[in-house]
Amino acid sequence: MTDHVLTYMTFFPLAGMVVVLLLPRERHDLVRWASALFTLPPLLLAVWLYRNFDPVNPGLQFVEKAAWIPAYNINYFVAVDGISISMVLLTALLTFLCIFASWGIDKGVKGYFALFLLLDTGMMGVFVALDFFLFYIFWEVMLLPMYFLIGIWGGPRREYAAIKFFLYTLFGSVLMLLAILALYFSSEPHTFDMTQLIAQSSRYGTTPLHFWPFDHLRWGFQHVVWMALFIGFAIKIPAFPFHTWLPDAHVEAPTAISVILAGILLKMGAYGILRINYPMLPEATADLAYYFLGALGTWNIIYGALCAMAQKDFKKLVAYSSVSHMGYVMLGMASFTPQGISGAVLQMFNHGTITGMLFLLVGVIYDRAHHRDIDGFGGLAAVMPVYTGVSVLAFFASMGLPGLSGFISEVLVLLGAWQKYPLLSALGASGVILTAGYLLWTIQRVYLGATNEKYKAMPEINGRELFTLVPLGIIVIILGVYPNALLDLLRASLDQLNQLVIPHLS
Amino acid sequence: MTHPFFPVLVLFFFAGSVVLALLLIAQMVGPKRPNPVKDEPFESGNPPKGDARIRFPVKFYLVAMLFLIFDLEGVFLYPWAVLFRRLGIFGLVEMGIFLTVVVVGFVYAWKKGALDWE
Amino acid sequence: METNLAPLLPSAEVVLTALSVLLLDLFIRKDEKGLLVWISLIGLALAGGMALFLWGSHEGAFQDSILLDDFALFFTELFLGAAAITILSSVHYVRETNIHEGEFYALVLLSTFGMILMAAANDLILFFLGLETMSIGVYILTGMWRERSQASEAAMKYFLIGAFATGFLLYGIALIYGAAGSTHLGRIASALGQTKSHGSIILSAGVFLLFVGLAFKVAAVPFHFWVPDVYDGAPTPVSAFMAVAVKAAAFAGWARIFLYQLSPLQSEWTLPLKALAILTMTVGNLLAISQSSVKRMLAYSSIAHAGYLLIALVAGGESGGQALLFYLLSYAAMTFGAFGVLIALKEGENDHEAYSDFAGLGFKRPFLGMAMSLFMLSLAGFPPLAGFTGKFYLFRSAVVAGHIDLAIIGALNSLLSVVYYLRVIVMMYMEEGGAEGKPFARAPYLYLAIAIAVLGTVYLGVLPAPALDLSRISFISLH
Repeated sequence: MTDHVLTYMTFFPLAGMVVVLLLPRERHDLVRWASALFTLPPLLLAVWLYRNFDPVNPGLQFVEKAAWIPAYNINYFVAVDGISISMVLLTALLTFLCIFASWGIDKGVKGYFALFLLLDTGMMGVFVALDFFLFYIFWEVMLLPMYFLIGIWGGPRREYAAIKFFLYTLFGSVLMLLAILALYFSSEPHTFDMTQLIAQSSRYGTTPLHFWPFDHLRWGFQHVVWMALFIGFAIKIPAFPFHTWLPDAHVEAPTAISVILAGILLKMGAYGILRINYPMLPEATADLAYYFLGALGTWNIIYGALCAMAQKDFKKLVAYSSVSHMGYVMLGMASFTPQGISGAVLQMFNHGTITGMLFLLVGVIYDRAHHRDIDGFGGLAAVMPVYTGVSVLAFFASMGLPGLSGFISEVLVLLGAWQKYPLLSALGASGVILTAGYLLWTIQRVYLGATNEKYKAMPEINGRELFTLVPLGIIVIILGVYPNALLDLLRASLDQLNQLVIPHLS
Repeated sequence: MTHPFFPVLVLFFFAGSVVLALLLIAQMVGPKRPNPVKDEPFESGNPPKGDARIRFPVKFYLVAMLFLIFDLEGVFLYPWAVLFRRLGIFGLVEMGIFLTVVVVGFVYAWKKGALDWE
Repeated sequence: METNLAPLLPSAEVVLTALSVLLLDLFIRKDEKGLLVWISLIGLALAGGMALFLWGSHEGAFQDSILLDDFALFFTELFLGAAAITILSSVHYVRETNIHEGEFYALVLLSTFGMILMAAANDLILFFLGLETMSIGVYILTGMWRERSQASEAAMKYFLIGAFATGFLLYGIALIYGAAGSTHLGRIASALGQTKSHGSIILSAGVFLLFVGLAFKVAAVPFHFWVPDVYDGAPTPVSAFMAVAVKAAAFAGWARIFLYQLSPLQSEWTLPLKALAILTMTVGNLLAISQSSVKRMLAYSSIAHAGYLLIALVAGGESGGQALLFYLLSYAAMTFGAFGVLIALKEGENDHEAYSDFAGLGFKRPFLGMAMSLFMLSLAGFPPLAGFTGKFYLFRSAVVAGHIDLAIIGALNSLLSVVYYLRVIVMMYMEEGGAEGKPFARAPYLYLAIAIAVLGTVYLGVLPAPALDLSRISFISLH
């Protein structure tokens, strides 16, 4: 059992999909419980993984490798290390909770849960795959169910949102595929094995390219591949100017899918850069990180916060706050300091839990009021005290209030960035103020003030909804007080990653 | 020296010029007095009757096509007969196969009613 | 005179089946016609068994003008499978449209025989014979739904343009004969070295004309204009048969003639072929986007896929040949499936071929919706389906041969194709109204055909290794 723990975690949901497809269509509750049952083992295994992960070892752990298409050196190769462990934990947790957040879906229930379980397999696969070919396949497998989940179960403009999401992501995927092929053909012997590609990273030429438009930039092959991969990942992050699919997709998607989108899918972009760009193309990373991760990340922080401030739609506000928060991840990654990079990975995890909570909270009132207009509420604190309490916790965490998890990661990122780019760090810190601004303003408009007559009789948050929120809230508090619970696992691998790039910094 | 085929080219040229010249002379010199009888199509002296474009029963075409197919297939038997001894048993078997295919076609045509006139 | 007849066994079996079907059809009642389906399928299965039995042998017949190598056998199996799926998916269609059943199946079988001959021919005359046998059968099949005027129009167009293409081909063969002194491919190849000095212009002209003739058959741009009308007018199972088997047969001939026997001339045709490939996929995809009928969209998509396949011919060599054969397999599975779902939408007089007819199908007929989504995604090149794996190896072969630009253009093209493939899925799951689709009980054979296509699409995508090995072995056996 323990030999194949990652395989079980990845493919349990797929087995669940088959089971769900075989269940009778009318038995909605059966389908829901079956889905919950099949996402529970990955969560339990994730807990086991957390307890058995060796934090001192910077290398790969729980490795599984089997030949898949031997003629081309393609393997089934999965493992975790400090870069991916937190994402694997997050995926297992959020998918399990989101099954319960999806309880209210009553159209095409069977199809919804089947696609959801397939999505789960795709996401888990992306985080554990260490063969480039396998990585790409999981990456695409995840794209399709997401497209359907937005396109079929989404809001009124679902088709537009789904297609936009799909085309953006697909464009990135094609660039990524070309980059993968480029790396494959410059390795010797040709391989898709990420560890081997990393070991050969010096092979990928850095001799300048002598054709337009690269001749003035002194760019080498590495830089071109880096950019192709970066655009693919930046679309997922989403970094400005590739972010425009995000507000549409978030607003139209059903609640649980918004949580998955913000909580897990956005992390894949940052994860991909850490997993692939950093170790495989260290020279290009050293040359380009300042512009495309540091400066762009800072811009993301400020731009996202300003956009969020202008929103009237509650969900759009949360969506733009994601753009802003992912900016911290980019800024932290670009710093190449132990604090900055571990802050970035911690921020990825925290953003997953906090924004997950925010989307769930929006979903709770949307289910009751059927609109998300921020100004349409008011004084909910009097009607729904428990709900308001949880909301305020999530808002404060998102704001970065000391004692909650968001604070730790943002401070680490800004500290790390300060050592390298004081200006960017200062600008990023101003983002914290903007964030506090729009979040406090929202709290005031939605929860405080005079109670809106229409919602005097709004029912309090129910047990199922609380069940999805409370675990996330607990994690937010624990990581706020004792961040080493997670940071310890990351440190060794991330330091090693830093050491690959630092020698190339000029 | 000129090309050995040069005289042929000269001949072509002259032949062409003669034809052209005769046509032109007839056009210019010949008298033109058209009348209704002269304008009629020539049918060996018989007065023409009805439209030239009439519909034939499609059966004629069918028979013509069947004739072509089976006639040509029949012709194939002659060269085979001439070489019969050299081709030996292999040739016999091969012709047997060929004839089987032809017979299948024939039976098909027959059963489909291609040979019935009514 | 000793003649080895073993290479003819599978094709002889196909002809025998065709003749039996034709004869039996005359003597049975209308309600017993189902028997013909079974006879055809059993005949195809027997032929397939023979081909399997002969696998690995390397023999020739009639002074090596027909070869029995793994390459020929690979294509034999492909054509037999294509014929079987065509017959399975046309059982209900033929009955609904009052097409004569016996002739229909017999013609499918006879065309299949022609294709087998094309893949096995090692002599240009014999290749031509196979091509004509195949083409004439398909011309008639195209027009067999006589009550429909589009079908007659399509048959006429296809016949005229086909005859035109045949003319090119034949003239090309004649010129090559003039330059090399033989129509036998082996002898042409050996004559190439000596005739270079004074025969090269004639030879090039012959090769060029042969090219054009084959380009018509695979529907490469700019020789594609007949495709949409013909595919649209023909009975849908025949469109599928044309899109898959006819194309595969032409590619088989192309591979044997150009990638192997005439490969010394490769440098001469690489550039035009490259242009042809780029043009074909781009034009095919662009025109497919603007279609409102799914059947016409599939016709244009088949043009685009011919373009992808041409990449393999440009790349050449072992990796190109392997990619070509593998992609043909994947393409067969997904194309048959897509046309199969289209057939399932037909109700009596109404063909239901527009995009809007697919609206809501995903909920009304979940199996058909799921299958069609799979086929569309596979055609668009999504992992882990057959289309992705196939394209991956196509592009890989292009990169191996140094045509990185082709790989990039191909990848961008498949991005383009997503637009129109996705529209079908959008219709099926995000719109309402539209056609009902036949339930399983009314078309069990068709559902069987679609299920086979689904299995093929998924299997070739998830576990491509055996089929890739098979493709490689088959292609190597040419040498």
